[in-house]
Amino acid sequence: MGSTGKSKKRLSTARELTRVVTDYYLECHRARAEGRPVGWMPPMNGGIEIFYAMDLQPVFPENWSPVCAAFSLAPGHFEISEGMGYSRDLCGYLRNIVGYVHSDMNGPGVPLGGLPEPDMLMSFGGGCVPAMKIFQILESRFPRAKVFRADVPQVACEDIREHHVDYAVSEIHRLIEFLERTTGRKLDQERLHRTVELSDAACRLWDEIMSLRRCRPAPISASEIGIMFVMVTRQGTQTAVDFLTRVRDEVAERAEQGIGVIEDELVRLFWDNIPLWYNMGLFNEFEGLGGVVVAETYSAAWSLRLDASDPVRALALKSLMSYSLVSCLSIERRKEMVLKACRDYGIDGAVFHRNKSCVPITLGQDEIIRALDEELGIPSVTIDADHMDSRNFSHAQFKARTDAFMEMLLARKNG
Amino acid sequence: MHPHAAMEPFLEAVQYRRQRLEGAVSRGEKVIGYFCTYTPVELIHACGFLPVRIWARTGPAEKACAQVPGFICPYMQLSLENALSGEFLFLSGVVQAYTCDVACGCVNIWKATFPDLLVHSIPLPYNVSPEAGAYLRSCLEETVEKLVSAGGTYSDEALAESLDLYGRIRGILSALHEQRAQGTLAMTSADLNVVAQAFFAMDPVHYLMMLERLVADLNSCRSILAPGIPVLVSGSVVEDAGIISLVEALGLRVAADDLCTGLRAFTPASAAGQNPLEQVGNRIMKRFPCPARSRQSQRIPLVLDLVKSSGAQGVIFLFQKFCTPHLADYPAVCGALKDAGIPSILLELDGNAGMEAQALTRLETFAGMVGA
Ligand code: SF4
Ligand code: SF4
Repeated sequence: MGSTGKSKKRLSTARELTRVVTDYYLECHRARAEGRPVGWMPPMNGGIEIFYAMDLQPVFPENWSPVCAAFSLAPGHFEISEGMGYSRDLCGYLRNIVGYVHSDMNGPGVPLGGLPEPDMLMSFGGGCVPAMKIFQILESRFPRAKVFRADVPQVACEDIREHHVDYAVSEIHRLIEFLERTTGRKLDQERLHRTVELSDAACRLWDEIMSLRRCRPAPISASEIGIMFVMVTRQGTQTAVDFLTRVRDEVAERAEQGIGVIEDELVRLFWDNIPLWYNMGLFNEFEGLGGVVVAETYSAAWSLRLDASDPVRALALKSLMSYSLVSCLSIERRKEMVLKACRDYGIDGAVFHRNKSCVPITLGQDEIIRALDEELGIPSVTIDADHMDSRNFSHAQFKARTDAFMEMLLARKNG
Repeated sequence: MHPHAAMEPFLEAVQYRRQRLEGAVSRGEKVIGYFCTYTPVELIHACGFLPVRIWARTGPAEKACAQVPGFICPYMQLSLENALSGEFLFLSGVVQAYTCDVACGCVNIWKATFPDLLVHSIPLPYNVSPEAGAYLRSCLEETVEKLVSAGGTYSDEALAESLDLYGRIRGILSALHEQRAQGTLAMTSADLNVVAQAFFAMDPVHYLMMLERLVADLNSCRSILAPGIPVLVSGSVVEDAGIISLVEALGLRVAADDLCTGLRAFTPASAAGQNPLEQVGNRIMKRFPCPARSRQSQRIPLVLDLVKSSGAQGVIFLFQKFCTPHLADYPAVCGALKDAGIPSILLELDGNAGMEAQALTRLETFAGMVGA
């Protein structure tokens, strides 16, 4: 069983994140109180910018799951959903959110007041199966919510052609039409343009922050990756840009002054797959042995650019590419991305989380492990775990494997 | 010897499928594999390839476990095991309609492992609308392009012929399923499963001849099957007809199925459209939906209709272990059945032949409960 452990944060801006998170959830509840329509949607698509451009409130149930994991609420939610007949073999995000919406959602013990009930549901066809099924289940849980049934082609980034883009563009137009009809608000094109510009600015800042991690010693590690909260929930807002600017400045300053995550950075590590949200402290365990996780695959999901000169097309492309980065990218492309990251960040060893809860990201890992070894001589270790369900994680096994791995990496360095 | 002589060629077609396909390839034919029955087989056929459904095996996944985790469905895991063991050396490519995350990930692994194969995934639309229809046609055109680049040739005339051929086959198979629902089919569902599996593994022209002979044989056959309590079997891939026999041996009669190795592969037989490509697309969009490609609100009423029209007294969910699309829909489907007073049981197929003692006991209890 995995214990709940929070990670140690060194950035003052990362600590500021707590306020950013609280503000976001307060805003969600205020929206409800003020009669501003609340829509629940999956993350990583162009819907968020349209919502912000129309002063609608987006809520991300998938992103609520890490909050539940961090506050140890997930086990209770699993009990509820499993009691309803949802198999333990299903993604933990699905089991958690289903359990959550069938519990006392805004009850006294629920952190941040919980989620406000949706007026609208953006039920996607596209992305991974659990993400789609979550919304289909929500449709029956919230029968009064107006449902937009979206479609996004499930195509690998490198195979995207004009007809995929055209279809995604037509879906964005349909979404706008649905929102205008349902809420009685009109989308202001100038506002949309500005929102997409802000979204692009956030992505650019994200890239800058990520590339500062190339410095030795690394100024931030995966422990600080919670900053991606703003990429999930705040894309297209000035809040995200302001926060990320402050993070970028602080990280740049640390890099310039040679301030690392730990005093003596001996080994630089790469992390593949989603972190264990109920035990982010694991990243610090590497640090105790001189290892720093300086890069990871999932942060690449925000490494996109949006061309604001054609906002609708930019959002269609974002929807097409973001999800395929995690769910249907070819192994060739994934290999390329991981190998490039390992070269760029000077990686000594890679940690692969074989994630029982996320089949799309886990499938193909073995090929990448082989390529890392054969093409770059970088060794890897595989950890069997689950990003949501601590029952699928053994801390003792983790420790045994990573200690031996770190020992081997250190011996290689010294030899 | 099988009681229906006309069943023999189907059994042989399944038993010797690899050898026969290897023989066909040695005579210059080209074979394209697919996993999901949303794949437009008539399009592949029209381009001059023989489409065959990739099959799994029973037993452990020894080679595949170095490439895929243990928590994916045995169908995809053991298909890869087959491929790594040299079972599919006759394939020129894999053309696959996008099904689920596991199918997508495994297709990617096939692509990386067998770089000489044409590997193409068709990102089907999830919605049914005129825009989705136009998009799907573009996807089909792209598929034609890929097939032509792999040595195929395409014409609307050839597609019209292939549509006609597959339409006739699917029409007969749908009629057999219909007769089964009415209780007038003089063959077991286990046999019907074998008939379907032969369809997935052989030349359609030859298959149609066999099928017509089978129908003639069934029409002249006076034997009446032992009546059993009608049930519906719902799930994805059921390659082992033995499981269906087991169900039938308990006094149950599979009156209908909601399987991709059954009804979902054949319904509807064809669809109208202004040109052959549009007909292919329209059929895909009208297909009896599977949980991987549809929303619960769309699918559940259809499953309930199927239960009603077949007179099923209970539902046996026969899932591939770890199959997310089916497992995620299960509580909602199960709940809707419960509200309609229909009992159900869930059994998971783990890739081993037969059924574990515990599962068998549960099935026996279920049979008793529905009155068998
Ligand atoms: S991408 Fe992975 S973690 Fe996210 S919902 Fe899909 S299966 Fe779950
Ligand atoms: S739908 Fe289910 S059985 Fe079919 S490939 Fe996907 S996981 Fe496997």
